[in-house]
Amino acid sequence: MKLCEFIRPASLPAARDNLRELGAKGMILAGGTALHFMQDHTPVTAVDITRLGLSFIKHEGAFYNIGATTPLADIQRYRAPRWAMHEICRRISTHQIRNISTLGGNICRVFPWADLPVVLLAMDARMVIYSGKETEFPADEYFKTQPAKRFLGGDILTSVKVPALQAHHGFGSIKVVRTEASFAMVTIAARLELDGANIKSARVAAGSAIPFPRRLPSVEAALVGREAATAVFQEAAGKAGADAPWRGREGMSPDYSRHLAEVSILDALERAATFARGRAE
Amino acid sequence: MSQDPTANFKQVNHSVTKVDARQLALGKPSYVADFAPADALVVKMLWSPHPHARIQSIDVSDAEKMPGVKAVLWHGNVPRIAHCTAGQGFPEPSPYDTFMFDTKVRFVGDRVAAVAAETEEQALAALARIKVKYEILQPVLSIDEAMADGAPVIHDEPEAHVPIPIPYEPKKNLVARVGCEAGDFEKGLKEADFAFDDTYETPYAQHCPIEPYVSLAQIDSAGRIVITTSTQVPFHCRRIVAQTLGIPVQKIRVIKPRIGGGFGSKQEILLEDIVAMFALRTGRPCFWQFTREENFRTGRTRHPIRVRIRAGVKKDGTITAIGMDCWNNTGAYGGHGLTVVSCCGSKVLPLYRCENIHFLGKVYYTNLPVGGAYRGFGATQAFFGMESTVDKMAEAIGMDPLKFRQLNHIKSGEGSPVFAALGEGKEGVPMTVGSCALGECIVKGAEAIGWKNRADWRRKSGRYRRGIGMAALMQGSSIPHIDMGGASIKINEDGSFNLLVGATDLGTGSDTVLAQIAAEELATTTDKMIVYSSDTDMTPFDVGAYASSTTYLSGEAARKAAADAKRQILHTGAEMLNLPEDQVVCKDAHVQSRDGQHKVSYSDIACYSLYSKNQYQIIGTASHITQKSPPPFAAHFAEIEVDTWTGNIKVLKYVSTIDCGTAVNPALCEGQTEGGTLNGISYALTEQYLFRNGRMTNASFTDYHIFSMRDKPPIQAIIVPSYEETGPFGAKSVSEICINGPAPVFGNAIYNATGARLNEFPFTPEKVLKAIQAVKR
Repeated sequence: MKLCEFIRPASLPAARDNLRELGAKGMILAGGTALHFMQDHTPVTAVDITRLGLSFIKHEGAFYNIGATTPLADIQRYRAPRWAMHEICRRISTHQIRNISTLGGNICRVFPWADLPVVLLAMDARMVIYSGKETEFPADEYFKTQPAKRFLGGDILTSVKVPALQAHHGFGSIKVVRTEASFAMVTIAARLELDGANIKSARVAAGSAIPFPRRLPSVEAALVGREAATAVFQEAAGKAGADAPWRGREGMSPDYSRHLAEVSILDALERAATFARGRAE
Repeated sequence: MSQDPTANFKQVNHSVTKVDARQLALGKPSYVADFAPADALVVKMLWSPHPHARIQSIDVSDAEKMPGVKAVLWHGNVPRIAHCTAGQGFPEPSPYDTFMFDTKVRFVGDRVAAVAAETEEQALAALARIKVKYEILQPVLSIDEAMADGAPVIHDEPEAHVPIPIPYEPKKNLVARVGCEAGDFEKGLKEADFAFDDTYETPYAQHCPIEPYVSLAQIDSAGRIVITTSTQVPFHCRRIVAQTLGIPVQKIRVIKPRIGGGFGSKQEILLEDIVAMFALRTGRPCFWQFTREENFRTGRTRHPIRVRIRAGVKKDGTITAIGMDCWNNTGAYGGHGLTVVSCCGSKVLPLYRCENIHFLGKVYYTNLPVGGAYRGFGATQAFFGMESTVDKMAEAIGMDPLKFRQLNHIKSGEGSPVFAALGEGKEGVPMTVGSCALGECIVKGAEAIGWKNRADWRRKSGRYRRGIGMAALMQGSSIPHIDMGGASIKINEDGSFNLLVGATDLGTGSDTVLAQIAAEELATTTDKMIVYSSDTDMTPFDVGAYASSTTYLSGEAARKAAADAKRQILHTGAEMLNLPEDQVVCKDAHVQSRDGQHKVSYSDIACYSLYSKNQYQIIGTASHITQKSPPPFAAHFAEIEVDTWTGNIKVLKYVSTIDCGTAVNPALCEGQTEGGTLNGISYALTEQYLFRNGRMTNASFTDYHIFSMRDKPPIQAIIVPSYEETGPFGAKSVSEICINGPAPVFGNAIYNATGARLNEFPFTPEKVLKAIQAVKR
């Protein structure tokens, strides 16, 4: 990717028009950190969307609506009742990167090591995409394949709606790293809905040690309807091997990646259960 | 004199501000890249994609015609002169096995052809047009393969040879062999109540300086080549470039500006011959800077070494025998191979009293990245095995490992046969230890880490288990009878001094340290020193920054030069005061009568000597070689927490004590101690070269994990003073020793936490987990 031109449209429709005209030569520019990983030399025109009012976090009814160009640092700093997104954001890269890297940049083109898709899958978030009008896509559909394909026609991600956790909901995420600023060896996120001592619903997702972020249906199935207890979590985590093609990274064997994921699932579930029972913020 | 010999020091043993602090803090042009002129040609290299191949043909004609291309270098158009890239004393104890370009490539990242063009893009485009046909040869990708009968011969060229009489058998891939015996090792083993035989593996690592390898060559108006380069060894650089290009030393000037870190990596001449040759061919300034990937692949690395420790101990704690066998993988070229493996023995074996010693080190070529100098070399690798076995010996006899070390470590006035037996390419120098505060280091470190609370691993349970480990360490200070440092110092009208040193400040603060030493000797202040280092046209010779030599060796040269100047100042001052020379002293930048009643300032003395009467330049000059290599000592301790479910290690606290003699600048000394320790922590826990078919697969900071300040655990540096009578104002060295501790300390702490003993590092979670799972309670 070689940036040859730069344009700053004045409105969302104008940005979409620009992108449609440019076709494959157009490139949305928000934080710009993803460009580091796109090192071919194709000449592109950057379409800057950072001044279109897409940087915000709003509590809107049952959702937190987060603008697509909101820097990760803002998400990290934001606080509200039963808000959970800060937990993963403070583990992504460095302060300097988080100051410019955006939510949209992290999920419009998903790299295998990306943490936010894992969290958004577990949270059952909804992606709002502008294509002349705004349409919502549930995370399961949005992350089914590489989202970058959705934007080839000039459509633009405008915000992400993250469900506000209810009193009986809990969330936990685990990111295992070699050093603080490095990409994850494995990322796990879990959201539990409790009904008394039992698990009413569960969403568990994984990333980094697998080719593409995904939910872990066997793990979820082993949780629903059962007691929110360590032994159950342990048993459910043991199902992770069947749910994804765990692969070795950074000198680790695939078996170790799977093992690490299982331990991390257990830890994430424990956190989520504690959260749901009412943890200290 | 008071009991504390440092009590009256006014410059030494004070944390004065670094002499280059202001220019660096203000971002003033200081580094090589800052001096590259706008019209400099950009150099790029085509690297070998194969670990072992012969170049059957190479066609650069298309590349030469590409826009902006001014010259292309390859084996067909440069001199073929065998040399060694290691910047060591001359003649080097390393093989001459390298050519500017060769018809064979021996590792992924070896040179094939180079282009100098107006822009980087043009240079890269030209590289893509070079056509190379390779005959792929069977690669040697491990030291076991290198040693095997019938192994492919990596250096089959007839010119490969060693310039000094040391064992070298390239047809067997053997780069060097060195050994020594003292007493009767086998007999010592038989006398032991407990015997040990363990083999340890230590890995590759890269130095990762912030500033990569970078060089600039220009032709001055007199037709000489001026090389401005990021080097630890400017004088060796000049000599080796002259040798490689086949031109006289007289034609070359090497300037070392400020350096953004070296840690040993810049003790090699990897770029300078190329930029110099391009400058000669084109008449244009030529600039070459490695990318980070090139730094990893082609830059020098820490030698991976296999260390076998055999030892015997009696129930009373007497060590009856210590044997060390080392197999050193030096990669595709042999620079530093012998010296690194020698240091495995010479910097480690003397630490513990033992009459029966065996040492054998062998060095082999492989088709893997090239080893070189790296902070602590040899000692870093061998201490891992040694200090792991020391803990095992203590446990076998039921003794606290701390007490076992206290019982056995070398002390002031004691010697070791190893000192005399192992040198650098020749025998060493007999030596007894002068200053030694290791005992105090152990006591203070133990107190800081809470050693008395350390419990046996069998009493620990649960997922997270804490453990405490320790290691005792020593190093050296310079290479006796080989290293030489020089300095000169002259006075200016305002009482300031130009201190010219060949010693190489590569970010360590040595310019400041040498200025403090000179200022102390001259009874003036450090801010009166204008330090210039290093420039082969302007400064006296110095071997450069390596072997923990700068403070001890070059510092003494600076002190002697200052003493020479002081003698002249006293002479002129006495003349001005009309007093006999034996009746005047230097104090606070003045020459004064002993009673202090009459005095004259250095400024007045300078003006008098330059302008008034019997004019002459007050200038002191001196050089220094060392007769011994006094070891700094250290005791390292760490408390860690092991996640027994994942194998992850968390460092809760690290205590790094250091006896470096007098700390010339305590703040810089603490900085070196913390930096070296963190460097070692990173090496022990996360750094690793991953290979596929000889090609490093993680050659970037994204995938090669070094500790940053975000990862830094609490490190407590404790300076434990001693006074080395042979060093400048009591100083020894500090820079290398601190990296040697973390690997054995963590190995011992993991054992203390879990009962798992790991014989190789980095201690990745997977390795640790496997070891824990293998523990039988």
